[in-house]
Amino acid sequence: MPGVLPPATAPWPERRRRALADPTMRAAVAKTTRNLAQGKASAYASYPPGEAMRVRAVTARRSALAHIDALLEELTGNVEAHGGYVVRAAGPADVGRYVLDIARRRGAERVVKSKSMATEEIALNEQLEAAGLRVRETDLGEYIIQLARERPSHILAPAAHKTRGQIEALFEREAARTGVTPPTCDATPELTAFARRQLREEFLAADVGITGGNFLVAETGTLVLITNEGNGRMTTSLPPVHIAVVGIDKVVATWADLAVLLQQAPLSGTGQLISTYTSFITGPRRPGELDGPEEFHLVLLDNGRHELLGTEYEDVLTCIRCGACLNVCPVFRTIGGQAYGSIYSGPIGVVLTPLLGGLDHAPELPKSACAMCHACRDACPMEIELPRYILKLRRTEIEKSMEPLTVRLTFELWGRLWASPAGYRWTARLARLGQRAFMRKGRLTKAPGLVGGWTATRDSPPVAKETFHEWWRRRKPGSLT
Amino acid sequence: MVAAAQAGVAHMSRTGVVDRLGQEGARGLVQEFMNNWVALSGDAWLALGGVDDVRRAIAEAAGAMVAERGPGSPRRVVAWATEELAPLDLPGLLTSLGFECVWGTDWSGGAGGEGDPSAAPTARPADAPGATAAALWQRRNLAATSDLGITTCSWAVAETGTIALYASPSAGRLPSLLPTAHVALVRPSQIVRSIPDGLRLLADHRAQRGGLPSAVNLVSGPSRTGDIEGDFAVGVHGPRRAGVIIGEW
Repeated sequence: MPGVLPPATAPWPERRRRALADPTMRAAVAKTTRNLAQGKASAYASYPPGEAMRVRAVTARRSALAHIDALLEELTGNVEAHGGYVVRAAGPADVGRYVLDIARRRGAERVVKSKSMATEEIALNEQLEAAGLRVRETDLGEYIIQLARERPSHILAPAAHKTRGQIEALFEREAARTGVTPPTCDATPELTAFARRQLREEFLAADVGITGGNFLVAETGTLVLITNEGNGRMTTSLPPVHIAVVGIDKVVATWADLAVLLQQAPLSGTGQLISTYTSFITGPRRPGELDGPEEFHLVLLDNGRHELLGTEYEDVLTCIRCGACLNVCPVFRTIGGQAYGSIYSGPIGVVLTPLLGGLDHAPELPKSACAMCHACRDACPMEIELPRYILKLRRTEIEKSMEPLTVRLTFELWGRLWASPAGYRWTARLARLGQRAFMRKGRLTKAPGLVGGWTATRDSPPVAKETFHEWWRRRKPGSLT
Repeated sequence: MVAAAQAGVAHMSRTGVVDRLGQEGARGLVQEFMNNWVALSGDAWLALGGVDDVRRAIAEAAGAMVAERGPGSPRRVVAWATEELAPLDLPGLLTSLGFECVWGTDWSGGAGGEGDPSAAPTARPADAPGATAAALWQRRNLAATSDLGITTCSWAVAETGTIALYASPSAGRLPSLLPTAHVALVRPSQIVRSIPDGLRLLADHRAQRGGLPSAVNLVSGPSRTGDIEGDFAVGVHGPRRAGVIIGEW
């Protein structure tokens, strides 16, 4: 069964136009992506074990997918053996129902969240808010865009597009709403201190903490959580209930596998050798312990993942959400994450969005949001063949619009002609003859049939009076056969 | 998100640092660990002259990392209740420095405190059934209003500047998380080269104890973010200052 993703915020042409007309966002995204890409390059260069571990990590991830059902069973047994609860969720509604059941049983009103792509994928916040719960994102960037009611512009830097002035204004509004002292200026330490005060109150008052998970270790039933700010530790240490919503693809078999994987996300994501905080959580608080949650729930999210196993797209499930492909993508660097209309942006978003949400969900992404430069393939630490997948998805999508016989025959004929030099040159001569009727001021402004699709949105330079081949032959007789 | 790091401060004690470090390999790891911790904006003290030297370093760290609260308002400290810390007499030391010790520092007095999981835990009134939730709540709020948290660690990693904290009945999650500053005591022999080396020690622990702790936290410097215009900032959630004291006691 395919999964369900949140609908796009607006049609693609509108999203694209809005992004291109926002110089502040574009400058911020350009700066962020450049810094992160450089950080990654220098991190691997300065840390030789990183590359050796990366190669083994790829094998570990692929092998986990090959045994995923057995590993999930082992994981479940081990989490339960430590007093945790495990539930499998097919899609968004299952997770919402499960979390709301817990909230009702506990009489919970307030939820704090640590940044998680899985919960964004299923629009969990909206589900919980619709049921009357108060949900607070606690990653600083996510907090900012939650206050602004926007979507992330970058997987690792959700509020990269926001200026400090805009952030100060959001915080002032929030201070007025909650009746606290607003930040005194727009300096980073002052804004950070305001967020610390506000979010600390939220952590201490929360009834439920919800996180995602970077990895799951089957052999011990352990959840691995990586953050830099410490909000992951807060969310898993303070509220009496911790619920982790994690894609089934995050499972690995052993700690030996995790040992080579653990540093890949920070190395490839931010260029750190390790994140500031890495938490290994095995069940809830034990008897005698003075802190930590009473209840630990692990929600294993499918949402279209299982269906990708065994297909040509399987390796896309090895993604560790590091964002390295975003940082090198010329399209992403130009339009930023919001224009993708999906919670997954950049090259991985172009692939994951239609694969998880169904091929009809965002057909414009493989069709329009890739320049086929292959930079993402080189950047991906898990060696996911993103350009190949994008091309396959593009082909699938284009083939749908190639139903009429005339269209198929035209492309068939075109392909045959251009498969040989003689055919190619013959079409050039033919086009030179035919184009006269469509020329305006030395440009082709319209064209007949299928080619009209090209000239509908742009002019085309005409075929030259003399092609290079013709010129060459005239200058050096006999050199071309 | 993270921007470029700012360096913290390394404090070397004046007394024969290098001589006391012993063999070359260990010395290299200690220096590498300190350098990397400091590069992550952490603070580091070297105190290899025994109990008194470590106590002096703790006093120095407390003074350097925690600002005065003003007259009539003592600074608060919260610490792990592990037996490993007992010889340092932290309550005595910190009280003499003007700190109020809020919990986890009362190992003495015969009750055995929270004790080690291996030792027979002695229930206190506050931990009796029914009172547990209230006691936890109170401890939590005390930790949240503390200025300084003191812990040891299970191992540390030289090449990444990382310490590993295992949760247990005597070693809570909060003393290293909620106070404004956290300082961890690290023995030179606990420092390994790489993260995988450290994880092998965790595997040993698992084999010996028949399972993993409920929570293991790897900490590499103070809480950091770059979410405001890519600007590096510390302390958005966790401690603003993170210190290590490398010492023998």
